[in-house]
Amino acid sequence: MQYLTQLLISGLAIGAIYGLIAMGFAVIYKSTGLVNFAQGEMTMIVAYIAWTISTTISGNLFIVAAGAIISAIVLGLVIERVVMRPMLGEPVFATVMVTIGLAVILRSSINFIWDAYPHGLDVGFGRDIVRVGNIGVRTGQIAVIATLLVLLAAIWAFFRYSKFGVAMRAVAADDRTALLMGISAPRVHAAAWAASSVIAGIAGVFFAITYDLSPAMFQLGLKAFPATILGGLDAVLGSGIGGLLIGITENLAGGYFGSGMKEVAGFLMIIVVLMVRPFGLFGERDIERV
Amino acid sequence: MRKYLATASLLATVLFAGGPALAQQGITDTEIVIGDVEPLTGPPALLGVAASIGHKIAIAEANNAGGINGRKIKYVLEDDGYVTARTIQGVKKVIEVDKAFAMLGISGSGQSIAVMPVLEKAGIPTVIDVAPVKFLWEPPRKNVFVVGQSYEEGIIHLVKYLADKNPGKKWGLITQDDDYGITVRDGFDSVVKAKKLNVVYSGNYKKGQQDFSSDMLQLKDSGAEVFLAGGIISENIAMMKELEKLNVKPVTGIFWPGRVEPVLKLMGPAGNGIYAVDYVEPFAGEAGKAFLEKAKPLVSEAEFKGINRYTMTGYAAAKVLISAIERCGKQPTWACTIAELEKTKNVATGVMAPISFGPGVRFSNQKLQIMQADTATISFKPVN
Repeated sequence: MQYLTQLLISGLAIGAIYGLIAMGFAVIYKSTGLVNFAQGEMTMIVAYIAWTISTTISGNLFIVAAGAIISAIVLGLVIERVVMRPMLGEPVFATVMVTIGLAVILRSSINFIWDAYPHGLDVGFGRDIVRVGNIGVRTGQIAVIATLLVLLAAIWAFFRYSKFGVAMRAVAADDRTALLMGISAPRVHAAAWAASSVIAGIAGVFFAITYDLSPAMFQLGLKAFPATILGGLDAVLGSGIGGLLIGITENLAGGYFGSGMKEVAGFLMIIVVLMVRPFGLFGERDIERV
Repeated sequence: MRKYLATASLLATVLFAGGPALAQQGITDTEIVIGDVEPLTGPPALLGVAASIGHKIAIAEANNAGGINGRKIKYVLEDDGYVTARTIQGVKKVIEVDKAFAMLGISGSGQSIAVMPVLEKAGIPTVIDVAPVKFLWEPPRKNVFVVGQSYEEGIIHLVKYLADKNPGKKWGLITQDDDYGITVRDGFDSVVKAKKLNVVYSGNYKKGQQDFSSDMLQLKDSGAEVFLAGGIISENIAMMKELEKLNVKPVTGIFWPGRVEPVLKLMGPAGNGIYAVDYVEPFAGEAGKAFLEKAKPLVSEAEFKGINRYTMTGYAAAKVLISAIERCGKQPTWACTIAELEKTKNVATGVMAPISFGPGVRFSNQKLQIMQADTATISFKPVN
């Protein structure tokens, strides 16, 4: 039982990281209809910026958090304005290729701006181990699970009750009609990129606090993408839950069937789920009237 | 006819009298070009950048002393991003466009292996120092020399040491699912058979894996008391932190690619006391400190911060190559440089045991030593 509990807790913690990045994928897809293949790289860049703030300005948790959030917003807005907006109206394939190119540039920038060494993000929090009996969990892991849950609730409320949230849903449903209703699609897109960058950045910062910061961190995006497919590419909340499911499944498979199954288990689950629900667990069925 | 004879004799004079100096690429009256291809971007830049800094230190040292018989060394460095196709492209460019006289490096083990036919065909004198694997010297290639020790020998040395120190204990092993991991596993298995070790956990993780919670829980559950962590950089950090979280501390050994001080810093208390094997001197020792002193004025501040064990391997290889070219006198040729490299006997570099090659011997077979981590001083200290 203790073995199972430890696997579940660790699975939830890494799953929360996947879930946050997956939510970033879904926010952009829901608002722009685009899959952003640079999501993992944005996660990594924000974490590196947070590390830079912690080592040059202050290691205070709140200063680092505020700096990282502002930087993430700026990063998202700059990418949307400089790279993505000129691609508006272009074929989806070309736009997706642009995000792949962006991913390569962001990945390479780590070595140009920082270095190839692993670093630890020390904000005086997250590394302590809480023990309950023989079960151990780091405070950073507890915090990331709690953050995911809070964000899930906040995003649900945002889309449900806020005017801008409703506008985002309107653009996602039909951008031309939304435009006729006076909603600015570029503004919605910019907000989506900024929000996605912040959510992914939070994941990156928590990962760096709990584990470490290295140029290989972008690979988190590759693990989070299946989570968003599982939850539903257009389902922000579903993607977050998809991340938790992938994290738990991976850990249970790794713990009971060996390391080899760890990588495969999440994808096996996706295949099975997509065979039954091609639009993901929480995604919306795309109905076309002909 | 007279005009034709005059032209022919002039050509003959150029070809046979002044021939060697003019025919050999990469050499002018004032300069000699040494080429290198390394991963300077992406995670493996940790080794590529550090190795290139080692080359730069040896080259700066030689240039400050007047160069190679009066010729300054020009260092041409290409980035391959750890992508084999780019390594091949980079080596071809360095040889054919930059006209390098000799080569150092080259990138990782897979990249060096892939580029071997290009090097052999070109015949350019080459000293490999980053990733020593048997394929690079077995069978020996005329123009390719390798400074270092094989991964397999390194693992055998480490496992034997840990086995002798911990008789009758239960063992655990985890390796990466690539050629590096296979080499580590092969070395481990050979000692397991010879010493009849009791292996209770054997894991294999996918390259790029970042969460080792279930793997380390399995290790704990197996009751392993001695653990060979076959990760490279971030993987070993994640494993040690997981073990700390799970409140277990097996006797742990790591391999030299991960024996860099920043890794130890990130492991924190979890990394204290772990064993490592290497053939270069630890920075905490006298030789290591002397090397850092020597390096400081020769590289930029940023480069100095990038120094790690790969800087030492790069430095040693460059010293051996420069010394061989130097012994060829005023008009070095590829043939002479290769012959002189072969004659390399007990060349002291200060960063590893003296280096030797020989007729048909293209591998320096460096002496290994075991070190132990001290997280209080963020250093590795020799234990034997």
